[in-house]
Amino acid sequence: MAGDASGDGGEVKYPLDAESYRLLCKIGSGVSAVVYKAVCLPLGSAVVAIKAIDLERSRANLDDVWREAKAMALLSHRNVLRAHCSFTVGSHLWVVMPFMGAGSLHSILSHGFPDGLPEPCVAVVLKETLRALCYLHEQGRIHRDIKAGNILVDSDGSVKLADFGVSASIYETTPAASSFSGPIHAAPSAALSSSCFNDLAGTPYWMAPEVIHSHVGYGMKADIWSFGITALELAHGRPPLSHLPPSKSMLMRITSRVRLEDAESSTKRKKFSKAFKDMVSSCLCQEPAKRPSAEKLLRHPFFKGCRSRDYLVRNVLAAVPSIEERCKDTNLCGCARGARCVSPCRHVNIVKTRRISGWNFNEENLEFDPTEGTTEKRCFPFHKEDPIELESSNSTGDDNEDRRTVTQGNHEKEAIGFKEVVVPQLMTILESLEMQRGMVMHVLESGGCHVDGNGCGMAASGEREEMLLGYVRQLEHRVEELSTEVQEEMARNARLEKLLQERVNDQLKTNSSQTSGSN
Amino acid sequence: MKGLFKSKPRTPVDVVRQTRENLVYLDLNFGSRGGDAKREEKMAELSKNIRELKSILYGNGESEPVTEACVQLTQEFFRENTLRLLIIHLPKLNLETRKDATQVVANLQRQQVSSKIVASEYLESNKDLLDILILGYENMDIALHYGAMLRECIRHQSIARYVLESEHMKKFFDYIQLPNFDIASDASATFKELLTRHKATVAEFLTNNYDWFFEEFNSRLLSSTNYITKRQAIKLLGDMLLDRSNAAVMMRYVSSKDNLMILMNLLRDSSKNIQIEAFHVFKLFAANKNKPAEVVNILVTNRSKLLRFFAGFKTDKEDEQFEADKEQVIKEISAL
Repeated sequence: MAGDASGDGGEVKYPLDAESYRLLCKIGSGVSAVVYKAVCLPLGSAVVAIKAIDLERSRANLDDVWREAKAMALLSHRNVLRAHCSFTVGSHLWVVMPFMGAGSLHSILSHGFPDGLPEPCVAVVLKETLRALCYLHEQGRIHRDIKAGNILVDSDGSVKLADFGVSASIYETTPAASSFSGPIHAAPSAALSSSCFNDLAGTPYWMAPEVIHSHVGYGMKADIWSFGITALELAHGRPPLSHLPPSKSMLMRITSRVRLEDAESSTKRKKFSKAFKDMVSSCLCQEPAKRPSAEKLLRHPFFKGCRSRDYLVRNVLAAVPSIEERCKDTNLCGCARGARCVSPCRHVNIVKTRRISGWNFNEENLEFDPTEGTTEKRCFPFHKEDPIELESSNSTGDDNEDRRTVTQGNHEKEAIGFKEVVVPQLMTILESLEMQRGMVMHVLESGGCHVDGNGCGMAASGEREEMLLGYVRQLEHRVEELSTEVQEEMARNARLEKLLQERVNDQLKTNSSQTSGSN
Repeated sequence: MKGLFKSKPRTPVDVVRQTRENLVYLDLNFGSRGGDAKREEKMAELSKNIRELKSILYGNGESEPVTEACVQLTQEFFRENTLRLLIIHLPKLNLETRKDATQVVANLQRQQVSSKIVASEYLESNKDLLDILILGYENMDIALHYGAMLRECIRHQSIARYVLESEHMKKFFDYIQLPNFDIASDASATFKELLTRHKATVAEFLTNNYDWFFEEFNSRLLSSTNYITKRQAIKLLGDMLLDRSNAAVMMRYVSSKDNLMILMNLLRDSSKNIQIEAFHVFKLFAANKNKPAEVVNILVTNRSKLLRFFAGFKTDKEDEQFEADKEQVIKEISAL
């Protein structure tokens, strides 16, 4: 019995109408949801967080929203953020949740630990998160969006995993990064596994037991991958490869072919314990079956002798400003209209921490622990698959730098060629897209659903709204056009890339034949 | 005692029997204050047993379920009134056990014993259990559990028919609009299941109950001030009317000027999603080859407005079917 509450009426009942709550300030925003700090008036002004999800804007269908809200209502674990209640206000769904005083770890990182948390603190956070993950997986649920932005800390140092489900289904189509956005830390297999999951989710009640087990079992390992990425995010202050632009699909495709080195983390390398590295690399096995289960991971030596939540309060929370102060700090936040928006803020994310969803981890892992050749081979079948290429690239005398392994050099070569062709153009397009998206967001925020001082009315003076809506549609149209352009560009690049590949191969062949001939 | 359990693996039949014994104990002793410690112990045992049932039916991480074990379990479960006891005492169980119990009940609805669905037979002779499950929507603590069980039970055609024809059907119009989002949506999902799953039964129900049903549907759901109620109702209406098996009901629906007026108002709704769903029903009015005069009148009176509206009416994503339908509607209206 993992649950604590018996749920039989002993709990506080939160009122189900907007009038009972007073919104204090905005503490986070995503593309179709805003999170507020609020008080519940009938409950002696108890502090809560309210996530207002715009059901009209989110593309997800209502059934998905419901399924996830229901799942959330039925979860009960001290490391899982459980909603107090949810109800509709106009076309918004308000989800009333406990207020977590220290905010998300993403916010903590960007306001006090840009280069990552000390390792003992990382251990505390990860252990608590892992407990939540154990519980979810035992319940047959996949979080699908594990990342620092979804790990919340209260002022007493307690850690809760948040935003499972509702966010996953709602933000799937929104690459504009924020803490509430899509599955940024998704595993390479996640595109596949999450679509499997979606197919199933369509009819979960009729799902055969064997289906539940086999498929969910697969998806759970995607959570473990994300957990590994989150470990690196906490340790380095940002996820690996985060200097790249955030567009999901595009990078999925790029990274599936090109291995890019995470320049940032290699310049500011930090020292981590062997246990930590070992724990992370076990999570980042390309082969889902080889990643440990959450339960097994919890028994990993890295989590032995883990500190308490007080340690977190003294060493982390003491070093960052309170959520309210982060609210006031508009410079850090860079938000429009002086909105009191705590990071994770849209602008910060777009400009500073570009995040992506698909990783290929070969380089990172090597760079991470270059001596562990055996682990790498066991974990990454990719290398085994093209031994011929490896040899040929070696024999061409590629000037492998001392730290680099042979494999890396090979990919590097491929990567540079491809990068030159593709990346600059895609970057331009993406930047343009991001800008447009930003503008749409601004317009919506200033016109659509802002919160006025005395309450929560969705201010809507007819004409102005009409005008703004028109403007928004125009912009959306433009974004769509640009998306199409990106698509076309992608196709073109794929062709170019193929050509390039062929030429490289030809060259390699001639080279190697020359070398062998001269020998 | 405990050693005894461990030394010999219990058969599925044993687990069902012990579950039942625990439930009977709960049934007899719940009110009494005296044996609290004993009751706690029995509750813990019950939780363990229900989890065991779940792992037999679903398998666990390591092993897949064994058909023979499932058959034995199912037979024993429905041989006596275990399901009744479990449903009645569900509110006394803790959250995790309730979830396990719900999954067990769900799974049992699909289990076959010598190619018969035992659960369906049991429910047919215990229909009052369905009344209990439906009324669960009035109790926030158990609504989601009973709701999930109910949706499993109405997979059986005979059971769905019972619910459709019961007085409870009217209650759904209230449940769907409960302020609690989780519960309202759950009721809504059950409602939709009832009205879409068993085609012939649904067609028969709609034909026999046309007047009151669509009166309620129009006035309470389609004209609701609640965004979600409206959005779900218009979607469901489209699903029902566009189903081939409901063709007769559809013809009747699209021959009414009152219905047309409601749909035309929904076309102007502030929500784009509702507009689009409303269009999928509105197009049926326009496509009807035998439009009654009153329907034609309204369409003709509003012709220029409608055409203007459709000229600017677009989906967010490109949708060929939608565009084709729209062209067709424009053609029909222009030709009137």
